[in-house]
Amino acid sequence: MLKPTRMTKVVIAGTKDQMEPAISVFHRLNVLHITDFSKETEDFKIGRPLKTASKFSEYLLSLRAISNQLELKESESGKITKSIELSSDIDEKITKLQKEVSSRFDELRNIEFKLKEKEDLMSSVKPFFGLPLSLDSYTGYESVKVFMGYIDIDLESKINKIHSNFELFMGEHEKRKIFALFIPKEFEREVQDLLQEERTYVELKVPPLKGNPPIILDELKKEISNLKENSSSLETELDKLKEEYSEFIIAADEHLSIETQKSEAPLRFATSPNAFIIDGWVPSNKFDEIEMELQKSTGGKVYLTKIAPEIDEKEIPIELENPVAAKPFELLINTFATPKYKEIDPSLFLFVTYPLFYALMLGDVGYGLIVTAIGFFIIRKFKTGGLNALALILLISGLLSTVFGVIYGEFFGFPIFNLEFKGEFEAGILGIAGPAIAGIHLPVHRFESVKPLLLLCFGIGIFHVILGYIIGFRNQVIMHDLKHAIYTKGSWMMILIGGVMAIAKIMPALMSKSPMPTGDPILILGSGLFFIGVIILIIGEGFISLLELPTLLSNILSYSRILAIGLSSAGIALAVNKMAMNLMIKPDGVLMGGGIVLALAGIVVLFIGHVINLLLGILGPGLHSLRLQYVEFFTKFYEGGGTKYLPFGHNRKYTEE
Amino acid sequence: MDPTQAGMVAIGAGIAVGLCGIGAGMGEQAIGAAAVGAMAEDEKFFGKGLLMTVIPESIAIFGLVVALILLFVF
Repeated sequence: MLKPTRMTKVVIAGTKDQMEPAISVFHRLNVLHITDFSKETEDFKIGRPLKTASKFSEYLLSLRAISNQLELKESESGKITKSIELSSDIDEKITKLQKEVSSRFDELRNIEFKLKEKEDLMSSVKPFFGLPLSLDSYTGYESVKVFMGYIDIDLESKINKIHSNFELFMGEHEKRKIFALFIPKEFEREVQDLLQEERTYVELKVPPLKGNPPIILDELKKEISNLKENSSSLETELDKLKEEYSEFIIAADEHLSIETQKSEAPLRFATSPNAFIIDGWVPSNKFDEIEMELQKSTGGKVYLTKIAPEIDEKEIPIELENPVAAKPFELLINTFATPKYKEIDPSLFLFVTYPLFYALMLGDVGYGLIVTAIGFFIIRKFKTGGLNALALILLISGLLSTVFGVIYGEFFGFPIFNLEFKGEFEAGILGIAGPAIAGIHLPVHRFESVKPLLLLCFGIGIFHVILGYIIGFRNQVIMHDLKHAIYTKGSWMMILIGGVMAIAKIMPALMSKSPMPTGDPILILGSGLFFIGVIILIIGEGFISLLELPTLLSNILSYSRILAIGLSSAGIALAVNKMAMNLMIKPDGVLMGGGIVLALAGIVVLFIGHVINLLLGILGPGLHSLRLQYVEFFTKFYEGGGTKYLPFGHNRKYTEE
Repeated sequence: MDPTQAGMVAIGAGIAVGLCGIGAGMGEQAIGAAAVGAMAEDEKFFGKGLLMTVIPESIAIFGLVVALILLFVF
């Protein structure tokens, strides 16, 4: 909580014959973050992969090719296979499977190719239906030239002008005129020129076939249907293979990935001719367990020892550690940057403030419940990973939004409780006046109480930013020293607190145009604090830091977006409801007074309007709440740049040892 | 507040939000494009990219605050 998991640097050393068992142990434990060995010396070189590596990766390659050809999807298996069972006959099985699948797959490809060829032939034969000749009569002449094509003029008269000795066949295909012209070769040139000048002329090529076009077509059709039959039977065979072997393929894929990973691990070790050394990190609280396991599996032949961490802090791998509820918010932290080892991990703060900002913005019972339901639905669908974390965040935010919906008294923009808005009485859905809780009279209508809500937003902003500076102060003390912390964070805290105190006194006076309360102790104290802060800042960071002062103001003002986005969301809902109501109860408050069509239009407006507003209501508050965290909060303390903890191992899904 | 005055206040608020929004948008466009470019190279730039992109946004917020004060506080 608040701090990443404590890590211990370890060195593992042993003789080379113990390398394989050691790798197995660490892979199974899935805790060792290996630091890659890169600086080769005369004695120590980067290790070579185990002998099995090339074999395993070869199998893996063929297995993946098979699974690609079968179009296998990962989630199709639920069975867990024992690793030992798999390894006994994996090579035979894969070779056999490859033979069966590849041969069929190649055949299928072949058939598809042939099909394409035949279909092309078919479409090239079809135009010749219009002409009464068999296909072989178009070719094979020595002294006669044959022209064929589409044309849209009276060809005969034009050819007659060239020469009278010719034969012309005319026909039709798909409503276009088609011709075949037989003419002595000496006129080839002239006819060609004539045709080329004719725009409607499109040349036709004779397909390399013999016989009458209708007969050829029938034959082609038969061949195609045969090919199709073949291909569909092959496909069923492949489907059967897929069904039969899918579990094996998925399990074997995982098994081989793991084995490859294991056998390639020495690439990250330092090795001498007879020994190996692994550098790495383990969570401190797991050290004893690891030592015991290693002892057990290698009979004490592999040596494990702690090293005092006098190393560069950046090298330490970071594993965030948080209570279950705050865990999903680690996603938002890691998206921004992985924290450094000595930094505070702000997930827990996000757990409180992110949903709070979200709910303050959305604040509607109807929308809140839908957002909660969406979150719930996604969690049911995706049990792990980023989407699951995101859905959990959505769920928490949605629930809190529902609570704030009650406070604001809004249900899809309709008032829940009776209220008076701009002097007009409006009946709520429940038809009762809102209760008073802890002195606050519900509902707090957002359009009516802009001023107090705006002040609340600024208050939240001031608190949030100060919290950021406090964390920053702590980080600076840990990473540097107290003096540095006061210069860089303390000064800003003074400026902020002093400034707020002074402005709290100056603003009301400015607004009511009354004289400045110059003697007010709070104003004096605030201004004093402000100036002391500025002076410390200048001493610590130089005059240039004064340029940063307006940023602080804009940071605080930025929190007004909480109100603004809430108002716009409530405003859209209100507008949609008004429009729909006007269509549905018209005229003079009579239900369906304007006819059923208008009433239906009203329902459509209501539905579309609220769907759009809901989408905006998920996106807007989500992003802006995140922005307040990243830009206003994180910049006060967060540096990031740590290395993520990636233990050597594999989370088995389909196999077990 | 007479109606003319109220109308003027509303127009003023509109201009404040509108012009500030345009200004912020013009600022953000170049930074946003560059940030997306950097992110395409290396996804780790997401955090920094977002940070840079939203810097001009404070201008829009200033306009918004002015508008809110005009409409609701005065």
